[in-house]
This record gives sequence, structure tokens and C-alpha cells, in this order.
Amino acid sequence: MSGLALPSKRGTVVADVMMVGRQLRYEQLNFWRNRFGAVFTVGFSVIFLVMLAMSGATHRAAAIGNIALIQYYVPGFAAYGLMSACYNNLGISMVIRRETGLLKRLRLSPIPSWALVGAILANAAVISIVQVILLLLIGRYGYNVVLPHVWAPFVLAIAVGVVAFTALGAAVSTLVRSQESAGPIVSIIFFVLLFLSGLWFPLTPGSGLAKLANYFPIHHLILATAAPFDTAPGASPYAWHDLLVVAIWGAAGLIVAIRRFQWEPHRH
Amino acid sequence: MVSAAQVAVEVDGLSKRYGTLEAVRSVSFAVERGEVFALLGPNGAGKTTTVEILEGFRSRDAGTVSVLGHDPSGRPRALRERLGIVLQELAVEPNLTVREVLTRNAGYYPSPRPVDEVIALVGLEGKASSRIARLSGGQQRRLDVGLGIIGRPELIFLDEPTTGFDPSARRGAWDLVRALQEGGTTIILTTHYMDEAEALADRVAVIARGQIVALGPPSSIGGRDVSEATIRFRMPPGVAASDLPVPARAIGEFAELTSADEIESLHRLTGWALERALPLTGLTVERLTLEDVYLRLTAGSDGAGSIGAPTEQLSASVGGRR
Ligand SMILES: Nc1ncnc2c1ncn2[C@@H]1O[C@H](COP(=O)(O)OP(=O)(O)O)[C@@H](O)[C@H]1O
Ligand SMILES: [Mg+2]
Repeated sequence: MSGLALPSKRGTVVADVMMVGRQLRYEQLNFWRNRFGAVFTVGFSVIFLVMLAMSGATHRAAAIGNIALIQYYVPGFAAYGLMSACYNNLGISMVIRRETGLLKRLRLSPIPSWALVGAILANAAVISIVQVILLLLIGRYGYNVVLPHVWAPFVLAIAVGVVAFTALGAAVSTLVRSQESAGPIVSIIFFVLLFLSGLWFPLTPGSGLAKLANYFPIHHLILATAAPFDTAPGASPYAWHDLLVVAIWGAAGLIVAIRRFQWEPHRH
Repeated sequence: MVSAAQVAVEVDGLSKRYGTLEAVRSVSFAVERGEVFALLGPNGAGKTTTVEILEGFRSRDAGTVSVLGHDPSGRPRALRERLGIVLQELAVEPNLTVREVLTRNAGYYPSPRPVDEVIALVGLEGKASSRIARLSGGQQRRLDVGLGIIGRPELIFLDEPTTGFDPSARRGAWDLVRALQEGGTTIILTTHYMDEAEALADRVAVIARGQIVALGPPSSIGGRDVSEATIRFRMPPGVAASDLPVPARAIGEFAELTSADEIESLHRLTGWALERALPLTGLTVERLTLEDVYLRLTAGSDGAGSIGAPTEQLSASVGGRR
């Protein structure tokens, strides 16, 4: 009954990696062509930054060591853009893919599941990186933001953020059962936590809000991306504690995502 | 017995439960290469569950399954490259075009059909550059079929391929199934339309409540070929049932009789009418239709509500074509 299991001619690692690349290309096409999704995910981080800059963020703020607020908003909105792509957009789109049967169809096709999942994650990473670069350019050339002298700590913070928030996006997608509720549920969690994150206004240290925000990863990712931009003498560009909190949340998200993941739509 | 090389699919004692629901109960059948095999049954009969186990998407609780020589439960890629699958639900990225999606999926297979050939086969020539989101329901369904055949599969699963189609789209889909069969493709389709099974399938398995209740060519399934024939004609003017040379009963202005030997009955009847120069207008001879057999076999089934109340089913099974 086993028959001869002919080895797949194209089953080499190189061919499979190329398959991820091909799949990623179509993921990108599908993402950027959806104007609403692209604006909501990418446009907002830019719009927020520009709006805040226009409303006086180029002034210096005593609460954060007398530096220009924009110096804090650029990495802050880079973190926002990353979370918007990896958590919000990926979380919603995973629910839609699952509930419309898209995941099921791809599961039945010959593309290896890891190549498919890899392309979906790489898609979120690419969207994040595009935003980060866009925001850095706007900050540098639009508002004279001082960019980090060494890039390693910033790149590390972005990398940890992409992995952790992608895991959290995938995790939250397993908690939502229907396509219609995906947008509201995923985004409400996101914006409530964002509000607590100190992005819109720096949190007063020791306040109740600051203590609450400390338990969630958003605030910490913003601190970790902002640290390399800190121009104060002696400030460390590596926010290890914040990175650790983000990584722990990411690991928890990964466990939930793996344990609860399913390929097929829920039955309604 | 056919040799192993000629068998595309072999299923033996297949069972599957969802919680306490026994969705598939000890189902066995074999499909030969090149055959069109239909699983015919009402909604909820277990058709989708059965094909999804064969596709490797779902696990089974009992039984052995062999698909093109593989056990599908491990989802071997070498098997997936040889299968074509058309699901019951539509699912394609909305912002890609017809050509893009077909080109992308063609890349998953070792020797795909040319994209333009597939576009022509499913009749989407005018829509090749349209986004999926802008296609009509019928066009999306045709793209679905296109995605099912892009990999030049040896075996295709079509789960209710024409549900929701208008009659002309349906004919188009049937023509495509026939064309695929002529090209040597083995086809397993599910349907709850009897005419579809009759028009397309070499053999039909009627499935109800998770069990196969009849299996065979549509022409002889459920004893259709050996059942009694029903002869009907308009009662000639001035003739009573008792005057006829055959034991017929009057039903309104018609006479009707059932006969195990309709040649003999017809000979007597027409000879009698010729002698007296009487007309036998509206003369018909009918055996059980597939619909009659189907309704009788699936009567009382959970999903049978969609095709008629139980009493209607019983009367249909004795009355022949209405
Ligand atoms: N994933 C599932 N979980 C629980 N029950 C299911 C699931 N899929 C199907 N069923 C049930 O199993 C039975 C057979 O379903 P299905 O195979 O879809 O039938 P068909 O395709 O013939 O309509 C039905 O009663 C259906 O409600
Ligand atoms: Mg079904």
C-alpha cells in the first residue's frame, strides 16, 4: 500500500527558500494593493508623527531630560508602526485568512506549511522595516532628529519587537472566532494598550498609569527603540530590561499561537 | 480484481467521529484510475469529511486509506503535488488578479499546466487581469476549479462543484469534468444533485448518515435496472380499465400498470390497440429514476429535509417519474 514514495525533485532547501521568496512577493502585492489596510497600517505612523511634530513636538520637554520631543516621537512611532504591522495587521489578517478558508486551501496545496508561515511573517517584517526607514528619514530630514551613532541597539530592538509582536498577533488571531469581530477585537486591545504606553504623552514616572503600563509589552518596546536615540550623556543605548519584558511576552504569544493554531475556519 | 497500478484510491473501513457524532461509519470503496466517482448524499451525510480525509486534511479514527499509493494522513508533499482540490468554500487573496494567483500556485507544482491554458479551460479569458474581489460568485468558482487543475493533477477532488451555479454554468462545469476525464484524470466528486451524478459519474456511492447505502453505476444502482417498469398512457375514449388486455388501473384520464416484462405487456397492449384502431396517446415506459432510488435510500436521513418530507419520498419511490 505504501507504493514508491518518489522524492520530490524540488525538495531541496534552496528551492524551498526561493519558494518563500516567491510567496512573499505575492503577500506584498496583496498587502500594498489593499489601500485601506496599507494606509491604516503604514500611513498612520507617518501621519501621527507629522501631526505631532506640527503641534509643537519640536520643543524641548523637561520631563524627558530637556530634549526635543520629536527625538522621542520618531523611535516611538517606529515602534508603533512595527506593532501595527506585526500585531494589528497580522492578527486581523490571520483571522480573515483562516475564516475564509485561505489557510485551508494553502494547507492542501504542495507549498510546505513552514514556507507559507515564513512568508506571512516575513511580510509583516518587511512592512515594519519599510515604516521604520520612512520614519527615520522623515525625522532626520524633516525635523533634524539626531540619529543613533551606533545602529546595533536600535536594530536589536526592532528585531526583538518584530518577532515578539508577530507572535502576539498570531496568538490573538487564535482567540477570535469570526472574521467580522477580528478588526474590532484586535484593534481595541491594541489602542487601549497604546494609550497606556506613553506614546502620545510621556508617562509621569510612578503614576498609576505608568505602573499599569509596565506590565504590558508596548510601553517597553517604545522604551527599547527610544534608548538608542537618547542623547543624554552616559545613557545606555541598550534597554535590556525592556527587551526582556518584550521577549517574555513574545514567548508567551508564541506558545499560545502554536497550541491554539488551526488551519480551518470555525463552524458557525 | 483490478491490479494495484490501476487503483487510484482505496478506502477500507473508514470511520471518523466529531465528539460523539459519527460522521463517517465504516465506509469502503475503491476508485479506478481514469474513473469519475461520485459521492451522492444529502447535506450532513459525511461527503466532505470523507474527501477531506482522502486529501490528507483531516485525520481518521479507523480504517485504511490509500491515495495514489500513499497514506494521505502524513500529508506527503509528493502526494500533494499530484492532487487537485476544489473546496466547497471560496478562498483566494482578494487583491491579486486571476493571472497572478494562477501563476503563484503553478509555482507550487513540478509540472504545472500553462496559466493561459487554464484560464481558457475555465473560461476566464476576459478576466485574467481582474482582481479576485471584482469577480462574480460564478467566476470565483471557476477560478477555484482553475486552481484545482493548475498542477496537472492525476486525481481531482471536487466538493459540490456546481452548488449555486445557474444551469449554463453547470453545463460548463460538466463539460470540463468530461474533458478532464478524457485527458485521463481520475475524478472524485461530491454532490447532492442526482442528475449531476447520473450525468458525470461512472460509479456512484450513495451516502447517508455516514454510511454507503448503495454503490454502483448510475444505470443499475439500487436495482434500477431490474426493477419493474411503469407503463402509462391516456385511456382511449370509451374504454374502461377492465376492457384492457393488461392489468392496468385508471388514474384520472390515464391508465397505468407495472410490469416485470414490459416487452410482453407492450406487445399485447399495442396489438390490442392496433386491432381496434384505438390511440394510445402519451404512452411512456419508465423504470425507477435515480432520484427515486436516491430518495428511497436516504429516506429518514438527517439531511433529507432539504429534499422533501419522508412521506413524499415514499410515494415517489413507488410512483416512478412524476
Ligand atoms: N469540523 C467539524 N466538527 C464537528 N462536526 C462536524 C465537522 N465537520 C462536519 N461535521 C458534522 O459531520 C457531519 C458530516 O458533515 P460533512 O462531512 O460536512 O457532510 P456533507 O459534506 O455530506 O454535507 C455533519 O453532521 C456535520 O455537521
Ligand atoms: Mg459537504
